[in-house]
Amino acid sequence: MSTGTSFAAPETRTPKAPTAQPQIPRLDVAAQLLTLLRDTTTEPRPDPQLEALTLAVAADLPVLLWGEPGIGKTAALTQLAAALDLPLTTVIASVHEPSDFSGLPVIGDDPATHGVPMAPPDWAVRLVRAGRGLLFLDELSTAPPAVQAALLRLVLERRIGALQLPPGVRIVAAANPRSSAADGWELSPPLANRFVHLQWTHDHEVVVRGLGGTWPRAALPRLAPEKLPDAVDFARRAVCGLLAARPRLVHRLPSSETRRGGAWPSPRSWDMTLSLIAFATAAGSSREVLSLLVRGAVGDGPGLELLASLDRMDLPDPETLLADPASAALPERGDLRQAVLDGVVAAVRGRPEKARWDAAWALLVRALETGAPDLVVVPATTLASLRQEDWDVPAEIEKLAGVVSLSRRADRAAGRAAARTGTGTGSGSGSGAGTRGGR
Amino acid sequence: MNTGAPGTLDLDKLFTARLHAVRVRPYLATALFALHPVESRQVPTMAVDRHWRCYVSPAFVDRTPVEELAGVWVHEVSHLLRDHHGRSDRFARERDLSGPGERLRMNIAADCEINDDVFGDGLVRPEGAVEPEALGLPTGLLMEEYLGRFRLGPNTLSLSWLDCGSGADGLGRPWDLGPDGAHGLSEQERDAVRFRVAQGINGRPGHAPKGWRRWAEEAFHPPLPWRELLGAAVRSAASGSGVGEDYTYGRPARRSAALPGVVLLSLRRRPPRVCVVIDTSGSVSDAELGSALLEVAAISRAVGGRRDLVTVLPCDAAAHMVHTLCRAEGIPLTGGGGTDLRTGFARALRATPRPDVVVVLTDGQTPWPDTRPPCRTVVGLFPRRHTGRPRGDSEGDDYVPDSPPDWARVVRIGSASTV
Repeated sequence: MSTGTSFAAPETRTPKAPTAQPQIPRLDVAAQLLTLLRDTTTEPRPDPQLEALTLAVAADLPVLLWGEPGIGKTAALTQLAAALDLPLTTVIASVHEPSDFSGLPVIGDDPATHGVPMAPPDWAVRLVRAGRGLLFLDELSTAPPAVQAALLRLVLERRIGALQLPPGVRIVAAANPRSSAADGWELSPPLANRFVHLQWTHDHEVVVRGLGGTWPRAALPRLAPEKLPDAVDFARRAVCGLLAARPRLVHRLPSSETRRGGAWPSPRSWDMTLSLIAFATAAGSSREVLSLLVRGAVGDGPGLELLASLDRMDLPDPETLLADPASAALPERGDLRQAVLDGVVAAVRGRPEKARWDAAWALLVRALETGAPDLVVVPATTLASLRQEDWDVPAEIEKLAGVVSLSRRADRAAGRAAARTGTGTGSGSGSGAGTRGGR
Repeated sequence: MNTGAPGTLDLDKLFTARLHAVRVRPYLATALFALHPVESRQVPTMAVDRHWRCYVSPAFVDRTPVEELAGVWVHEVSHLLRDHHGRSDRFARERDLSGPGERLRMNIAADCEINDDVFGDGLVRPEGAVEPEALGLPTGLLMEEYLGRFRLGPNTLSLSWLDCGSGADGLGRPWDLGPDGAHGLSEQERDAVRFRVAQGINGRPGHAPKGWRRWAEEAFHPPLPWRELLGAAVRSAASGSGVGEDYTYGRPARRSAALPGVVLLSLRRRPPRVCVVIDTSGSVSDAELGSALLEVAAISRAVGGRRDLVTVLPCDAAAHMVHTLCRAEGIPLTGGGGTDLRTGFARALRATPRPDVVVVLTDGQTPWPDTRPPCRTVVGLFPRRHTGRPRGDSEGDDYVPDSPPDWARVVRIGSASTV
C-alpha cells in the first residue's frame, strides 16, 4: 500500500528540475530505498515455536534457541523484544572473556581491607539501570569452556560480578547445532540443564511471506486469571503423577554421545517443566506448544512420557464409567478407546464384583455400538475370563455376537495366513490369543 | 475396478483384518487402532495421509482376502510410523526434487524399506507388494538409500498404479481431507502414538523383528553421523581444563597495559597430545581403521594439535611401537590375533610426556582396564562383525563382550545412517 506512493515520490520531484538531480545526495536515495525495504508489517499467525518461546520467556525461564546460522533467530528475538516492549541487549558470548560475565577484578589501594571488587561490564550496568530488558546471549556454543562456566552463574543466579540482574530481565540464548558449528565446544551438561531448549527451524511459508513484507507477530499469551489455581494444580498433578510412577526419570544424566549438550531430566528441569505446564495451561496453549516446551526442558524421552501420561489424564476414569455406563462418553480415537476399555477391564479385575462386571459388559456393548468392533474383542475375551461361578451371564452379551463372529473370522484368517507364510505361528490361534493380560 | 453394485465398504471385513494384524503384530496395536478408516472411491487400494487417516476403496476390500488385507493394514501403518512423508519432504527439499515421478520413486523406495521384513510369520504379503529383490536391489536398506539406487524404468512400469497416499511420499492427493478434516491426528498426537509403539517394542524387543527394533531405537533419537560425534568427543576431551585453548590468570593479558589496576585473563593455548590406540585384531577391517584414523588426525589438528603431537599405537594382544602421525602412511597395522587393550593403555600412558587424550579405536572385544586412566578417554567402537566368527568363541552367538567402561566417552562408528 504505502510502497506505491513512496515509489512515486522521487518521480514527482524529478520533472520540476531534471538537471537538479545530482543535488540530491546519492546516499539519501539509498537511505530512502532502505527505508522502503525495511517497511514490513506483522500479522498474527499461529506459530507454535514462537508461542513456545514467548511462553517460556513469560515464565521467566532461560531459553536456548538451537538453529542453523542465518535462520532468523536474531530476527525472532528482535520481534519478541518489540512485542514485549523490552529493550534488547545482545551479547555475543563467543567474543567475550569470562571476566565480562563474572566481573573484572579491580585492585584498589588496599585489597586486604577493602577486598577486590568485580566490576561489571557497561551493558550489564545499563541493563540493571533500566530495570527491565531482554538479554540475548548469542553464539553460546562457540564460547570457550571458561566463558561457559562464567555464563552458568549469570544464567542461574542472574549475577554479573557484583551486580544482580533485576527480575524484569529475561534471558534468551542462541547456539548453533553441532553439525554446523565446526569449531564449537559443546554445552556442558550443567549449563544445558538450566535452559529450555527450543529447536528453531524455518517455516518455508513464513519466510516467503516475511520476505514479501509480512512477518508473524509474537504476542504475549494472555493468561486467564481465573484459570491460574487450576493450572498450578494441573501442572503439579501431571509432573508428580509421572515421577511417582517412574522414579528413574527424576534424574538422568545424558549418557549417550548423541544427547549431550541438550535437555535432560533433573529436579531442576522438572521444576521448570512444572512452570511451563502451568503457563501453557493458563494461556490455553495447544498440545503442540506444550510438547515443544516440555521436550525442550527435560528431553525427548521423558518429555514424551509426560505428554503420554497427560493424554491418559484426559481419558475418562474407569470408575466413573463403571458407575454410569449408560451415559459413558468413550473417546473417538481407536487407540484411546482401546486404552479406556483395557482400563475398565483392569478395574474390574482389581475389584471383581458382579455389578461392576455387568457394568463393564454394558460399556463394551456401548463401545461396539459407537465404534470399531475389533477394539472390543480383546477386552471382551478378558472380561469373560473374569467370570466367577455364581455370576449369570448378562443379557447384553447377546449384542456382542458380532464381535464373536469377527473374532472367529480372524481366527480362520490366521489359520490361512499361517499356512501361506509357511511358519507355524503360535500366536494367532484360538480365542485365547486375545488374552494379553491387563495391559 | 468397479464392482457395479452400489458396494459400500465392508467394514466388518476390514476390521476383521485389523484384528488379525493386531494379533500377529501386538506391538503395532496402538498404531493400528489409531488409524481412522475413511471410505473413498478414488483410491486404487488403500492409502494413508499424514494425519493418520486411512482411505479405503470398497472394491479393493471386496476382492482382497482378509489375511492379505491385514498385510496392507500393517504396510500402511508402517509408512506413518516411519515418518515416510516427512522424510520424503526432507529428501525432496535437500535435493530440490519435484514432480510426481520423484514422489512415485519415493513411494516405491518407502515400500521397499517396509516390505523386506514386515511380512511372514503369520502375516501374508499382499499381492503386488513391491520387494527390493524385484528391482534388483539388496534388502535391509532405508528409504533414502534405496532412492539412490534405482530409476523409473521398464522394471518399475508395473508399479505406476502403486499409491500409498500422501502419508507415504508427502505429495497431496485429491482425496485427502487435509489438516482440518475430521479424525485427523495433530503432530503431537502422532508423536505420542509413535512414541508408545516405540516404547512397546523397546520394552519387549524380543517380540519384534530387527527392522522394527532398529526403528524403535532411532524413532526419537535419529543417530548423528559418527564423524561429528567422534569429532565432538575428541574436541571436548582435548579442550578440557589444562588443555587446549582456554583462559588463565597465569600470564598477563594483552589488554592489561591499557587498563592499569585491572587484572585480566589471557587466552592461552596448550595443544593437546592425543594418542590413538588402534585395535589391530582380525575383527576390524583395514578400510574402517583407515577412515577412523584419518578422522582422528583431522580432528586433533582442528583443536590445535600439531601432527607431531598425535601418536598412533597399534595394539593386539601386545602393544607395539608408538608411531607419530608424521608417518601415518607407513604405520604397520600388524597383528590379527586377540586383543588386550589393557596393554595398549599401559603403553600409551607410559609415553613421556603423557598424552592428554587417549582415543581407542576398537570393536570392543577386549578386556578393559579396571581403573580409570589419568587422562580423558574416547572410545570409537566399530560394529561387531557378524559374518566372521570372532576369535575362539565357544560361547557362540550369545557371547556378549564387556562393554566399554563408564569413564570413557563412547562413539559407535559406522552405525549412523544417512538420515
